[in-house]
Amino acid sequence: MKTTDIERTRMDQDDAKLLAEYHAGSAEALGVLVEKYKRPLFGFILRFSEGREDADEVFQEVWVRAIKNMNRYRQENLLSWLFRIAHNLMIDRVRRRKFVVSLDTPAGEDGVPLSERLAGAGLGPDDETGGRELGLRIEAAAAQLPLEQREVFWLRMQADLSFKEIAKIQKCSINTALARMQYAVSKLRKELAGEYRELREAGI
Amino acid sequence: MKKRKLEKWLLLEQSGELSTRQLRQLGRELAASEDTRILRQELGRLKGSILLPEIEPSPWTVTKIATRLHEERRSAPTVTRVLKPALALAACLMVVAGILNFHGKQVSSAPVAVATVARVDVWNDPLEEDLGRLERQIAAISGDSLDIMEM
Repeated sequence: MKTTDIERTRMDQDDAKLLAEYHAGSAEALGVLVEKYKRPLFGFILRFSEGREDADEVFQEVWVRAIKNMNRYRQENLLSWLFRIAHNLMIDRVRRRKFVVSLDTPAGEDGVPLSERLAGAGLGPDDETGGRELGLRIEAAAAQLPLEQREVFWLRMQADLSFKEIAKIQKCSINTALARMQYAVSKLRKELAGEYRELREAGI
Repeated sequence: MKKRKLEKWLLLEQSGELSTRQLRQLGRELAASEDTRILRQELGRLKGSILLPEIEPSPWTVTKIATRLHEERRSAPTVTRVLKPALALAACLMVVAGILNFHGKQVSSAPVAVATVARVDVWNDPLEEDLGRLERQIAAISGDSLDIMEM
Protein backbone atom coordinates (compact mmCIF):
# COMPACT_ATOMS: atom_id res chain seq x y z
CA MET A 1 0.00 0.00 0.00
CA LYS A 2 1.34 3.43 -0.88
CA THR A 3 1.80 6.20 1.67
CA THR A 4 -1.08 8.21 0.24
CA ASP A 5 -3.38 5.21 0.55
CA ILE A 6 -2.35 4.70 4.17
CA GLU A 7 -2.97 8.38 4.91
CA ARG A 8 -6.33 8.30 3.16
CA THR A 9 -7.46 5.17 4.96
CA ARG A 10 -6.55 6.75 8.25
CA MET A 11 -8.34 9.91 7.23
CA ASP A 12 -11.39 7.89 6.30
CA GLN A 13 -11.48 6.36 9.75
CA ASP A 14 -11.29 9.82 11.30
CA ASP A 15 -14.02 11.06 9.00
CA ALA A 16 -16.24 8.10 9.75
CA LYS A 17 -15.73 8.73 13.46
CA LEU A 18 -16.58 12.42 13.07
CA LEU A 19 -19.66 11.58 11.04
CA ALA A 20 -20.78 9.12 13.67
CA GLU A 21 -20.27 11.77 16.33
CA TYR A 22 -22.30 14.25 14.30
CA HIS A 23 -25.15 11.76 13.96
CA ALA A 24 -24.97 11.17 17.67
CA GLY A 25 -25.72 14.87 18.14
CA SER A 26 -22.31 16.55 18.16
CA ALA A 27 -22.56 19.74 16.09
CA GLU A 28 -18.85 20.31 16.66
CA ALA A 29 -17.98 17.19 14.66
CA LEU A 30 -19.62 18.71 11.58
CA GLY A 31 -17.60 21.89 12.11
CA VAL A 32 -14.37 19.89 12.25
CA LEU A 33 -15.22 18.06 9.03
CA VAL A 34 -16.19 21.21 7.15
CA GLU A 35 -13.08 22.97 8.38
CA LYS A 36 -10.91 20.03 7.34
CA TYR A 37 -11.98 20.03 3.72
CA LYS A 38 -13.14 23.59 3.15
CA ARG A 39 -10.04 24.88 1.37
CA PRO A 40 -9.71 22.43 -1.52
CA LEU A 41 -13.45 21.98 -1.86
CA PHE A 42 -14.37 25.64 -1.71
CA GLY A 43 -11.46 26.53 -4.00
CA PHE A 44 -12.73 24.08 -6.58
CA ILE A 45 -16.33 25.26 -6.30
CA LEU A 46 -15.24 28.87 -6.53
CA ARG A 47 -13.59 28.24 -9.90
CA PHE A 48 -16.81 26.93 -11.38
CA SER A 49 -19.29 29.30 -9.77
CA GLU A 50 -20.37 32.90 -10.17
CA GLY A 51 -18.57 34.31 -7.20
CA ARG A 52 -18.40 33.96 -3.46
CA GLU A 53 -22.10 33.95 -2.64
CA ASP A 54 -22.85 31.42 -5.34
CA ALA A 55 -19.90 29.29 -4.23
CA ASP A 56 -21.11 29.53 -0.63
CA GLU A 57 -24.52 28.19 -1.62
CA VAL A 58 -23.03 25.32 -3.60
CA PHE A 59 -20.61 24.53 -0.79
CA GLN A 60 -23.48 24.28 1.68
CA GLU A 61 -25.53 22.21 -0.72
CA VAL A 62 -22.63 19.79 -1.18
CA TRP A 63 -22.39 19.23 2.57
CA VAL A 64 -26.13 18.91 3.05
CA ARG A 65 -26.33 16.31 0.27
CA ALA A 66 -23.27 14.52 1.60
CA ILE A 67 -24.66 14.23 5.12
CA LYS A 68 -28.16 13.35 3.92
CA ASN A 69 -26.85 10.54 1.73
CA MET A 70 -24.34 9.33 4.24
CA ASN A 71 -25.61 5.77 3.86
CA ARG A 72 -23.93 5.75 0.45
CA TYR A 73 -20.57 6.89 1.82
CA ARG A 74 -19.18 3.37 2.42
CA GLN A 75 -15.88 4.48 3.98
CA GLU A 76 -14.34 5.79 0.77
CA ASN A 77 -12.30 8.96 0.71
CA LEU A 78 -14.70 11.63 1.94
CA LEU A 79 -13.03 14.44 0.05
CA SER A 80 -13.31 12.51 -3.18
CA TRP A 81 -16.96 11.89 -2.43
CA LEU A 82 -17.56 15.56 -1.67
CA PHE A 83 -15.91 16.44 -4.97
CA ARG A 84 -18.18 14.00 -6.74
CA ILE A 85 -21.24 15.73 -5.32
CA ALA A 86 -19.74 19.13 -6.13
CA HIS A 87 -18.95 17.94 -9.65
CA ASN A 88 -22.55 16.89 -10.25
CA LEU A 89 -23.87 20.17 -8.92
CA MET A 90 -21.36 22.38 -10.68
CA ILE A 91 -21.48 20.62 -14.02
CA ASP A 92 -25.24 21.01 -14.07
CA ARG A 93 -24.95 24.68 -13.30
CA VAL A 94 -22.09 25.35 -15.69
CA ARG A 95 -23.87 23.56 -18.53
CA ARG A 96 -27.09 25.40 -17.76
CA ARG A 97 -25.52 28.80 -17.66
CA LYS A 98 -22.57 28.25 -19.99
CA PHE A 99 -20.71 30.33 -17.49
CA VAL A 100 -16.93 30.53 -17.46
CA VAL A 101 -15.17 32.04 -14.48
CA SER A 102 -12.77 34.73 -15.52
CA LEU A 103 -10.04 36.14 -13.36
CA ASP A 104 -11.65 39.52 -13.86
CA THR A 105 -14.93 38.26 -12.48
CA PRO A 106 -15.66 40.06 -9.23
CA ALA A 107 -15.33 37.38 -6.61
CA GLY A 108 -17.38 39.01 -3.93
CA GLU A 109 -19.70 41.79 -3.00
CA ASP A 110 -16.74 44.14 -2.72
CA GLY A 111 -16.01 43.60 -6.43
CA VAL A 112 -12.42 42.48 -5.91
CA PRO A 113 -11.44 40.26 -8.85
CA LEU A 114 -10.60 36.64 -8.17
CA SER A 115 -7.04 37.19 -9.38
CA GLU A 116 -6.39 39.55 -6.50
CA ARG A 117 -7.65 37.09 -3.94
CA LEU A 118 -5.38 34.22 -4.80
CA ALA A 119 -2.51 33.20 -2.58
CA GLY A 120 0.59 31.21 -3.44
CA ALA A 121 0.63 27.56 -2.42
CA GLY A 122 3.73 25.60 -1.57
CA LEU A 123 6.18 28.31 -2.57
CA GLY A 124 9.09 29.59 -0.56
CA PRO A 125 9.49 33.34 0.16
CA ASP A 126 12.03 33.72 -2.67
CA ASP A 127 9.72 32.20 -5.18
CA GLU A 128 6.64 33.99 -3.95
CA THR A 129 6.59 36.92 -6.37
CA GLY A 130 7.58 34.93 -9.42
CA GLY A 131 5.45 32.01 -8.31
CA ARG A 132 2.42 34.22 -7.84
CA GLU A 133 2.85 35.71 -11.29
CA LEU A 134 3.20 32.28 -12.82
CA GLY A 135 0.25 31.11 -10.78
CA LEU A 136 -1.90 33.91 -12.14
CA ARG A 137 -0.85 33.10 -15.69
CA ILE A 138 -1.69 29.45 -15.09
CA GLU A 139 -5.09 30.53 -13.76
CA ALA A 140 -5.78 32.60 -16.85
CA ALA A 141 -4.64 29.89 -19.23
CA ALA A 142 -6.55 27.16 -17.39
CA ALA A 143 -9.73 29.23 -17.59
CA GLN A 144 -9.62 28.78 -21.38
CA LEU A 145 -9.58 24.99 -21.19
CA PRO A 146 -12.65 22.94 -22.07
CA LEU A 147 -14.75 22.05 -19.06
CA GLU A 148 -13.66 18.42 -18.58
CA GLN A 149 -9.98 19.23 -19.00
CA ARG A 150 -10.27 22.21 -16.69
CA GLU A 151 -11.93 20.08 -14.07
CA VAL A 152 -9.31 17.33 -14.25
CA PHE A 153 -6.60 19.96 -14.08
CA TRP A 154 -7.95 21.57 -10.89
CA LEU A 155 -8.92 18.32 -9.23
CA ARG A 156 -5.42 17.03 -9.75
CA MET A 157 -3.35 20.19 -9.29
CA GLN A 158 -5.29 21.92 -6.56
CA ALA A 159 -7.33 19.29 -4.78
CA ASP A 160 -4.54 16.73 -5.16
CA LEU A 161 -6.89 13.91 -6.06
CA SER A 162 -5.48 10.83 -7.74
CA PHE A 163 -6.42 10.00 -11.33
CA LYS A 164 -8.36 7.05 -10.01
CA GLU A 165 -10.48 9.36 -7.89
CA ILE A 166 -10.84 11.89 -10.71
CA ALA A 167 -11.98 9.14 -13.07
CA LYS A 168 -14.61 8.12 -10.53
CA ILE A 169 -15.81 11.71 -10.21
CA GLN A 170 -15.98 12.24 -13.97
CA LYS A 171 -17.42 8.76 -14.53
CA CYS A 172 -14.72 7.88 -17.06
CA SER A 173 -11.70 5.59 -17.26
CA ILE A 174 -8.35 6.48 -15.69
CA ASN A 175 -6.90 6.66 -19.19
CA THR A 176 -9.51 9.23 -20.21
CA ALA A 177 -8.80 11.31 -17.12
CA LEU A 178 -5.08 11.08 -17.87
CA ALA A 179 -5.62 12.03 -21.50
CA ARG A 180 -7.65 15.06 -20.45
CA MET A 181 -4.87 16.08 -18.11
CA GLN A 182 -2.31 15.66 -20.86
CA TYR A 183 -4.33 17.83 -23.22
CA ALA A 184 -4.66 20.44 -20.50
CA VAL A 185 -0.92 20.40 -19.75
CA SER A 186 -0.11 20.53 -23.45
CA LYS A 187 -2.35 23.58 -23.96
CA LEU A 188 -0.90 25.28 -20.92
CA ARG A 189 2.56 24.60 -22.26
CA LYS A 190 1.66 26.50 -25.42
CA GLU A 191 0.04 29.33 -23.47
CA LEU A 192 2.93 29.56 -21.06
CA ALA A 193 5.66 29.06 -23.63
CA GLY A 194 7.69 31.94 -22.18
CA GLU A 195 7.72 30.49 -18.68
CA TYR A 196 8.63 27.06 -19.98
CA ARG A 197 11.54 28.56 -21.93
CA GLU A 198 12.76 30.29 -18.76
CA LEU A 199 12.58 26.99 -16.98
CA ARG A 200 14.74 25.32 -19.59
CA GLU A 201 17.19 28.22 -19.72
CA ALA A 202 17.52 28.03 -15.95
CA GLY A 203 19.43 24.83 -16.67
CA ILE A 204 17.09 22.37 -15.06
CA MET B 1 9.55 5.18 -24.23
CA LYS B 2 7.36 7.56 -26.24
CA LYS B 3 6.98 11.10 -24.95
CA ARG B 4 3.23 10.79 -24.47
CA LYS B 5 3.52 7.62 -22.44
CA LEU B 6 6.37 9.13 -20.50
CA GLU B 7 4.30 12.17 -19.64
CA LYS B 8 1.47 9.89 -18.54
CA TRP B 9 3.84 8.04 -16.26
CA LEU B 10 5.21 11.29 -14.86
CA LEU B 11 1.69 12.44 -14.09
CA LEU B 12 0.96 9.12 -12.39
CA GLU B 13 4.21 9.36 -10.48
CA GLN B 14 3.19 12.81 -9.26
CA SER B 15 -0.15 11.47 -8.04
CA GLY B 16 1.50 8.44 -6.41
CA GLU B 17 -0.22 5.95 -8.68
CA LEU B 18 2.77 4.24 -10.30
CA SER B 19 3.61 0.70 -9.32
CA THR B 20 7.08 -0.12 -7.96
CA ARG B 21 8.04 -1.76 -11.23
CA GLN B 22 6.91 1.29 -13.22
CA LEU B 23 8.73 3.57 -10.81
CA ARG B 24 11.97 1.64 -11.40
CA GLN B 25 11.48 1.87 -15.16
CA LEU B 26 10.78 5.58 -14.94
CA GLY B 27 13.87 6.02 -12.79
CA ARG B 28 15.94 4.48 -15.57
CA GLU B 29 14.33 6.82 -18.12
CA LEU B 30 15.05 9.83 -15.93
CA ALA B 31 18.66 8.83 -15.49
CA ALA B 32 19.11 8.38 -19.20
CA SER B 33 17.29 11.39 -20.64
CA GLU B 34 17.59 15.07 -19.84
CA ASP B 35 14.36 15.83 -21.68
CA THR B 36 12.52 13.51 -19.31
CA ARG B 37 14.04 15.29 -16.34
CA ILE B 38 12.95 18.66 -17.75
CA LEU B 39 9.47 17.35 -18.41
CA ARG B 40 9.25 16.11 -14.84
CA GLN B 41 10.50 19.43 -13.53
CA GLU B 42 7.95 21.32 -15.61
CA LEU B 43 5.11 19.28 -14.18
CA GLY B 44 6.46 19.77 -10.68
CA ARG B 45 6.75 23.51 -11.18
CA LEU B 46 3.28 23.69 -12.69
CA LYS B 47 1.80 22.00 -9.64
CA GLY B 48 3.91 24.05 -7.25
CA SER B 49 2.76 27.31 -8.83
CA ILE B 50 -0.94 26.67 -8.41
CA LEU B 51 -2.59 29.36 -6.33
CA LEU B 52 -5.16 28.48 -3.74
CA PRO B 53 -8.03 30.91 -3.39
CA GLU B 54 -7.70 33.02 -0.26
CA ILE B 55 -11.43 33.31 -0.09
CA GLU B 56 -12.99 30.92 2.35
CA PRO B 57 -16.59 29.97 2.84
CA SER B 58 -18.63 32.40 4.90
CA PRO B 59 -18.02 32.08 8.66
CA TRP B 60 -21.67 31.09 9.06
CA THR B 61 -21.42 28.18 6.68
CA VAL B 62 -21.28 25.46 9.32
CA THR B 63 -24.22 26.99 11.18
CA LYS B 64 -26.21 27.22 7.95
CA ILE B 65 -25.42 23.62 7.01
CA ALA B 66 -26.33 22.41 10.50
CA THR B 67 -29.59 24.41 10.43
CA ARG B 68 -30.56 23.05 7.03
CA LEU B 69 -29.79 19.51 8.09
CA HIS B 70 -31.70 19.98 11.32
CA GLU B 71 -34.72 21.38 9.46
CA GLU B 72 -34.67 18.57 6.92
CA ARG B 73 -34.32 15.98 9.66
CA ARG B 74 -37.20 17.55 11.55
CA SER B 75 -39.44 17.83 8.51
CA ALA B 76 -38.73 14.27 7.38
CA PRO B 77 -40.23 12.61 10.51
CA THR B 78 -43.19 15.03 10.36
CA VAL B 79 -43.95 13.82 6.87
CA THR B 80 -43.57 10.25 8.02
CA ARG B 81 -45.64 10.90 11.14
CA VAL B 82 -48.48 12.39 9.12
CA LEU B 83 -48.26 10.17 6.09
CA LYS B 84 -48.01 6.83 7.84
CA PRO B 85 -51.36 7.03 9.71
CA ALA B 86 -52.98 8.66 6.70
CA LEU B 87 -51.84 5.84 4.44
CA ALA B 88 -52.91 3.25 7.02
CA LEU B 89 -56.34 4.90 7.28
CA ALA B 90 -56.66 5.06 3.50
CA ALA B 91 -55.75 1.38 3.26
CA CYS B 92 -58.36 0.48 5.93
CA LEU B 93 -61.01 2.53 4.13
CA MET B 94 -60.21 0.82 0.87
CA VAL B 95 -60.56 -2.60 2.49
CA VAL B 96 -63.88 -1.61 4.10
CA ALA B 97 -65.13 -0.13 0.84
CA GLY B 98 -64.10 -3.28 -0.98
CA ILE B 99 -65.98 -5.49 1.49
CA LEU B 100 -69.06 -3.27 1.35
CA ASN B 101 -68.95 -3.18 -2.41
CA PHE B 102 -68.70 -6.97 -2.54
CA HIS B 103 -71.73 -7.39 -0.27
CA GLY B 104 -73.49 -4.54 -2.01
CA LYS B 105 -73.24 -6.27 -5.36
CA GLN B 106 -74.84 -9.41 -3.96
CA VAL B 107 -77.71 -7.56 -2.25
CA SER B 108 -78.34 -5.01 -4.93
CA SER B 109 -79.15 -7.43 -7.76
CA ALA B 110 -82.94 -7.38 -6.97
CA PRO B 111 -83.39 -3.60 -6.84
CA VAL B 112 -81.53 -3.34 -10.11
CA ALA B 113 -84.07 -5.68 -11.69
CA VAL B 114 -86.93 -3.69 -10.14
CA ALA B 115 -85.43 -0.53 -11.46
CA THR B 116 -85.20 -2.08 -14.89
CA VAL B 117 -88.86 -3.12 -14.78
CA ALA B 118 -89.85 0.28 -13.51
CA ARG B 119 -87.95 1.85 -16.34
CA VAL B 120 -89.78 -0.42 -18.80
CA ASP B 121 -93.13 0.50 -17.19
CA VAL B 122 -92.35 4.12 -17.41
CA TRP B 123 -91.43 3.66 -21.04
CA ASN B 124 -94.68 1.70 -21.69
CA ASP B 125 -97.08 4.13 -20.02
CA PRO B 126 -97.07 6.83 -22.71
CA LEU B 127 -97.39 4.15 -25.38
CA GLU B 128 -100.50 2.78 -23.76
CA GLU B 129 -101.92 6.27 -23.47
CA ASP B 130 -101.13 6.90 -27.12
CA LEU B 131 -102.73 3.66 -28.14
CA GLY B 132 -105.86 4.50 -26.11
CA ARG B 133 -106.01 7.96 -27.65
CA LEU B 134 -105.64 6.49 -31.11
CA GLU B 135 -108.37 3.99 -30.40
CA ARG B 136 -110.77 6.69 -29.29
CA GLN B 137 -110.02 8.80 -32.35
CA ILE B 138 -110.62 5.88 -34.72
CA ALA B 139 -113.84 5.11 -32.92
CA ALA B 140 -114.93 8.73 -33.18
CA ILE B 141 -114.12 8.82 -36.90
CA SER B 142 -115.77 5.52 -37.76
CA GLY B 143 -118.64 5.91 -35.32
CA ASP B 144 -118.44 2.21 -34.61
CA SER B 145 -117.06 0.59 -31.59
CA LEU B 146 -113.87 -1.08 -32.44
CA ASP B 147 -112.28 -3.84 -30.61
CA ILE B 148 -108.71 -2.96 -30.36
CA MET B 149 -107.71 -6.55 -30.16
CA GLU B 150 -108.98 -7.10 -33.71
CA MET B 151 -106.76 -4.46 -35.19
